[in-house]
Amino acid sequence: MQRVTWVDAENMAVGNTVAHKLVKLIRESGIDSGFSSGKRVALKMNTAEEGYEYGLKPVFFRIVAEMAYHATQKRPVLCDGQKLVDYWKNAKGNTFLSVTEAMGYSSETLGGHFVINGGFSGDEGDLFPCGAPDSEIAGVEVGTAVCRSDMLGVLSHVTFHPMFGLSGALLNGGFECLSARERTRVLRGVNPYMFNGQRPADRELKRFQRGALDSHLGVRASVEGRLFYVNYLWDVTPEPEYYPYSGRPVVENLGFLASSDPVALDAASLSLIERRLGSCQDITGIDFWKVLREAESLGIGKIEGEIKRLS
Amino acid sequence: MAEYTYEPTKWHELKAPIDGGRDSYQQKSWNPPKEKWGPYTEKGAAPVWFSEANATNWTESMICKAKDLFYEAKLNECFDKGDEVAIKIHYGEYNRTAILRPEYIAAIVEEVKACGAHPYVVNDTTLSYHTFDNMATSQYQMEGAIRHGYTDATFGCPVLIADGYSGEDDYRVELPEGLILKETFIGRAVAEADAMIVLAHARGHSITMYGGALKQLGIGCQSKRGKYITHLAHWGDPHDAIGWPKFTDQCPGKACKFHQMCDDSCPRGAHHVTEHGKVWYPERCRLCYSCQVTCIFSGMSGITFEEAYFPNAMIAHADAALGALKCFERGKVGFINHAIDVCPECDCFPWAGLAVCPDIGIFASKDLIAIESATLDAIDNAPISPGSVADEKGLKPGEDKFRMINGFSPRITMAAGEKIGLGTQKYELINYEPVMSPENAAKWQIRRAGDGNHVPVTVRLRKVFNRHDLATEVMPFRRAEYNKEWVQNEWKKFDPFKGEPPE
Repeated sequence: MQRVTWVDAENMAVGNTVAHKLVKLIRESGIDSGFSSGKRVALKMNTAEEGYEYGLKPVFFRIVAEMAYHATQKRPVLCDGQKLVDYWKNAKGNTFLSVTEAMGYSSETLGGHFVINGGFSGDEGDLFPCGAPDSEIAGVEVGTAVCRSDMLGVLSHVTFHPMFGLSGALLNGGFECLSARERTRVLRGVNPYMFNGQRPADRELKRFQRGALDSHLGVRASVEGRLFYVNYLWDVTPEPEYYPYSGRPVVENLGFLASSDPVALDAASLSLIERRLGSCQDITGIDFWKVLREAESLGIGKIEGEIKRLS
Repeated sequence: MAEYTYEPTKWHELKAPIDGGRDSYQQKSWNPPKEKWGPYTEKGAAPVWFSEANATNWTESMICKAKDLFYEAKLNECFDKGDEVAIKIHYGEYNRTAILRPEYIAAIVEEVKACGAHPYVVNDTTLSYHTFDNMATSQYQMEGAIRHGYTDATFGCPVLIADGYSGEDDYRVELPEGLILKETFIGRAVAEADAMIVLAHARGHSITMYGGALKQLGIGCQSKRGKYITHLAHWGDPHDAIGWPKFTDQCPGKACKFHQMCDDSCPRGAHHVTEHGKVWYPERCRLCYSCQVTCIFSGMSGITFEEAYFPNAMIAHADAALGALKCFERGKVGFINHAIDVCPECDCFPWAGLAVCPDIGIFASKDLIAIESATLDAIDNAPISPGSVADEKGLKPGEDKFRMINGFSPRITMAAGEKIGLGTQKYELINYEPVMSPENAAKWQIRRAGDGNHVPVTVRLRKVFNRHDLATEVMPFRRAEYNKEWVQNEWKKFDPFKGEPPE
């Protein structure tokens, strides 16, 4: 049974602030056990699209970055790739940085070196096999900031996702780590902006979901399995961060979860949300439990997990 | 021109990561040169604007004059409103102090923005120039840049690495005109810009003898691939080709106290120390200069350069500069040379020698070779700085400074550049001196005169003092009784080199 550590958002006090809770989460979950002197740690974060106003606060990432720095004595790299298919048609490194800067994300605020995964064009990457025999995409090109690191921390803002169901460890640690053109290949022409009445056929969505899971296997291969995951259940919006807008959060802030198993982590995250909201399938039209079962069948992780709660 | 095609990756045959080779998309990616590229000056002498260093009033601040020259030289016409404009600078090696001060870059960024364009500041990664190089990786280079004060906050625009996280985000550009190189690779953040303003620090260079605007293109805009082929311009049989390190019989082997530093200097393990010398594996060497720099600058003489290497490197980097220029339409690139802190070596050195001459000033032009020629002439004609390497070598004003200091005349590069269409060596120097007037004094201050509700800070403070009269509140304050004799006679007449200070 996989272990998921959860630190809730309750009992805030002097000495038990959000920062204290995050430090406690990292230490108690043991995900920092892989940090050792000299290791190059990459932290894959989510930076929001222009118009999406619920991005995570920089300090949420900075705390993990500083812990990595103290353990490794090397400034970690914090990265995100160019947007899925840039809504504003500004898919170049300089405009990407202008938007992230406006969100407050920079090397100065994040406690590490903030870079574009895949460089200015987003297309700088290496090819890795996905390993699943029946995979249609077979291999993926992983962005350089991720695949050139010794260890990858996947720091995910949990939101709902119109094509995947839930945006969390599985998506952020897989599809979102690919180079820009590779994500275009995995998308296969599907329009990811499902508003104004647009929605691809279920068959296309299923192909995307499978491709995204295969991508996770490719990313895992790129860092030789040295990954850890943190899910931030904070401002859980109905739209993901790549949307150019968002409705208000659908559930109160539930805290933060960490694990070395992305399937168990996303399953635990969804369980916590569903305890408040009931089934979430109506929000996106996607049964994320099915996606989790498929991930489990591909060997990415186990749904069943033991949740250890901290406060 | 041949149609560019590439074989798609055979995904299902992929069993393991692809390691190098020329089979990946990026290495074959090709950014076709702009049809309308070409030397800015079609005939006659090219205008070069110049403003001297030194200032005695607001209008003569070097920052204000840099802004004036930007408009005098019509660099604002290099781009249109809404254009993405790359501002190419050198981020400077870690522990280097003689680099452009951030204000010079911020000043031009401000004007590009004021003209309605979108600037971003760029530099490419370098090769591993020495054991402790910080510019070879994006992460270390940006940490160094932040330490120099080169940040989004200081410039007011994105600051990024042009060729990606690892130096592999580039385009290939064909150079049929090149005297040596027939292709090169340019960082994408440069190649994809609509226009470029090059802000160069004019100073010496150990390989190209001098480094200014042309070197910003010929090396600075090259991605790692571009830099490798520029270094390797004359590769061939290691026994008779000049494009390789020269391993002498002077290496003392393990008796050299720097032998571990030397062994560590090669990113490809192309040499290792033995008891009494060095073994070199030429098939692994890609001429990054790291072993040569490590040996030479630790005062040893086991690894050095073939003397004939330098002129070829100078010509090759002019070819490579053409690669960068061909990514833009004619007239879409502007140049500013800052002949300030004119040190003998490049900004990629982790130290700075004394400037070889006093600060000269700022040059601006749209013609690359003309601005370089004007800058070189001014440096040559400048006095010699006491204690500098130019002084040690006994140079006189008017002599070819960097030829005497570094070995060859930088005008080799300029002549080669002129041949391939980078510009003209004929220039008309236009001295720019700002006129001291109320308008000009106010023009480039922190809030521009004429901007909206702008009032001078002194006038603004009147309102503050009307609400809270701090200037009156400080009065009276405690002090010793005023002693006119003590001030007017004893201190006023005190000579610090004669006698004791008054009681």
